[in-house]
Amino acid sequence: MEAAGAEERALLTQRLKAAVHYTVGCLCQDVAEDKDVQFSKQTIAAISEITFRQCETFAKDLEMFARHAKRSTVTTEDVKLLARRSTSLLKYITQKSEEITSSNMDAAKEGRAAGEQETAVTESEDSNMA
Amino acid sequence: MDNGARLRADGGRPVRAGGCDGQGPLRRGQEGPGRERRGAAGLGPILSPLCPGTSPRAAEAPRSGAPRRAGPRQPSEAVALAGAGAGGVEQKGAGRTTLLKQRPTALPDLDNETPRVMLKRIIRTQPQVSPLAPRISTHEETEEARSELPSRRVSSMGEMQLPDLVPENTSIAAFHMTKKRKKLSISEFERAADKRLPQNQGKFGKSSLPSSFYRSLRISLGSLIPPDTVEKRGLLRRPKYRKAIDMEAFEGGVEQNMLKRKAQDYLVDSQTASGIQTALLASDAEIMLSNTELFVQPQLDEQSQNKLSALEPQLSDSKTSAQRSKISAPEEARLAGLVSSVGTNKGRTQRYSKDFILDCEHIDRMSPVSPEPPANQQEEKQRHSQQSNPMEQLSGSEEVVVGTPEHHANSGYSEHLEKKLSKKAELEISAAEDARAEAEMAPSAEEGIAEGGVEHQGSPDAGVEAGSVGRRSHAFSSEKSGLKPLEEAVEQADDQADELEDQAITIELDGPEEEPTEDEAEDPESEGKKTIAAAAEVFAVSQRSPLQAKPVPKSSGASRRKTREPAVASSLIKKIFSHYVKMPVARDAFKIVEKCSERYFKQLSSDLEAYTTHAGRKTVEMADLEVLMRRQGLVTDKMPLRVLIERYLPLEYRKVLIPVAVSGNKVIPCK
Repeated sequence: MEAAGAEERALLTQRLKAAVHYTVGCLCQDVAEDKDVQFSKQTIAAISEITFRQCETFAKDLEMFARHAKRSTVTTEDVKLLARRSTSLLKYITQKSEEITSSNMDAAKEGRAAGEQETAVTESEDSNMA
Repeated sequence: MDNGARLRADGGRPVRAGGCDGQGPLRRGQEGPGRERRGAAGLGPILSPLCPGTSPRAAEAPRSGAPRRAGPRQPSEAVALAGAGAGGVEQKGAGRTTLLKQRPTALPDLDNETPRVMLKRIIRTQPQVSPLAPRISTHEETEEARSELPSRRVSSMGEMQLPDLVPENTSIAAFHMTKKRKKLSISEFERAADKRLPQNQGKFGKSSLPSSFYRSLRISLGSLIPPDTVEKRGLLRRPKYRKAIDMEAFEGGVEQNMLKRKAQDYLVDSQTASGIQTALLASDAEIMLSNTELFVQPQLDEQSQNKLSALEPQLSDSKTSAQRSKISAPEEARLAGLVSSVGTNKGRTQRYSKDFILDCEHIDRMSPVSPEPPANQQEEKQRHSQQSNPMEQLSGSEEVVVGTPEHHANSGYSEHLEKKLSKKAELEISAAEDARAEAEMAPSAEEGIAEGGVEHQGSPDAGVEAGSVGRRSHAFSSEKSGLKPLEEAVEQADDQADELEDQAITIELDGPEEEPTEDEAEDPESEGKKTIAAAAEVFAVSQRSPLQAKPVPKSSGASRRKTREPAVASSLIKKIFSHYVKMPVARDAFKIVEKCSERYFKQLSSDLEAYTTHAGRKTVEMADLEVLMRRQGLVTDKMPLRVLIERYLPLEYRKVLIPVAVSGNKVIPCK
């Protein structure tokens, strides 16, 4: 049973890695067209691997931050704490989060809906950032 | 017997050496003859492997008949060794009085003998050969008992003449001495031997044999000692061979310095630099990922090279500082622009000319430049182009230092620039360079590992003075081969940082400098993994210093002088650093290390503050520190904090930090 679970997780990981690899490949292709540079396959593979591992690290850190604040939900605050290492990134994320909160407040009249969107946007934003 | 009792009491060699040795051998000698007569010849071979010294000693003891020999032994080399070994074994053999008696039957008693005894036996067996050889040769010289000695030594326990006994006693004593002190000087032995010789001769009235024997022993002893000392020296720690500074890294550091000098706000925008920036940043990332040095070498060998070529020592300190102070938030843009400008100028600026006038012109041009990225970028390009034209050929010596073409050129330029820096105009240029270097360093800092140059970025804001620049240049040129490029860059940055701190300390210090004590408390933990993490974090922190220092460039210099935040004692840093580096460290390197650690702790405290605020608290707790360590990568799923505590902290701290349950339903420390 555990083996099946582990296998399933491995399969899931594989699929996720493939998805990341595909996205990275698309991005690299755009950059290559833009800058007129070539990207070798190894480069794309390396970047996707790095991205995947960094995502794992991000996830662990986010969970740790949330637990540190005695919460069970990851919020934008956790994401901002995560991005502290890079000042520009932090600025960017703060900017985006402010935009989101303002748009949420404007768009969503219901507080619950705004909270849900905020969480969803936060997570998606985080994934975009990653 | 008194001798036996004494031997029993003698737990170790020193006691034996004290005075019983003379009697010991004598005692053994007394017993020896009996044993030997019982069948020495047959026992000899048996005993020799067990206690080679004993058999000769036993044979000699009765012959020597010198119970008076109670003083320090004479350096009877081989015999002494053998005898001492046997004697030692005897002693260690549970203080048996009749060691000799037991010896013939005491074949390796593995069960009862201690490892020490066995080791002694092994050691005793070693010198068996050497003493025999010289002995034979020396005895040949002697007329008396010549044949006896070799025969006795080799196998048969022939009747030992007095002279043989004499050497044995001395040999026994000497053995102890030599065993204990392998590094005993030959001259010492000789002196002691000479002292003994007259006594022995007086006692025994022997003629040349004892003296010659002793001499032979001395000679053999001399031959024996060196191998031991050599062996011992082999165990001693040898100065590690540190490979020479990598040229590329060195040049990278040079470029960093130059960038710092040109700390001009190369607020070059990401326009042209975007592509280059990404490429360079990627290279930085690669460089950083692959870099395993303790200190992240100035990064960007590529970037620095590019920047170095572009940078020219011409920006005035004031201007550069002003520009640095204006370093806007988009450091990336700046850096990108700088990088792009560097890249473009790289080809052009192959030679730096010592044209200070030109530099001054550039400086003038630089000063009015607003911190607008495009303007700066263009200015830089103009500068570079102009500079490249009139640039003189770098001196051959400077270039010689450089290695690879590009890098070398850059390093040569940097060196060249350094020399220029000694002059006031040079200083200005260097300041400009530093500014550039710092700006260029920003990309690397962006990557997460900021070089010291980033730190310098902030420091240039303080206005690098000519002296500091001169110091940097001097230090740089003089120590380029010695220090790591990073250190040099940091050193230069330090100089700038000093000034910067003097002027704009408060601003930088806003958040981060809170608890020096806490930082120090973290020292034990962080020391264990400090270098890499510290370097990385310090550089990351240094990035914000320019931003923080921006608001207070020079105006309140007087007020800032008084507001000096508490810093970690430099002596402490020096001590710890020297301990871990195990090498002599230059004074300038210490300064840089101090700056790095200061930045590191600033970043650390800032992070802790953020984590504490995140948890809605006002006091930093253990949980915050654990979060920090997890973020740093010191604590992982595989490596819990407890293991780190056990591994790196002293026992006192462990007792406090790790609760231990003891009997009686008690937990220490009490919760």
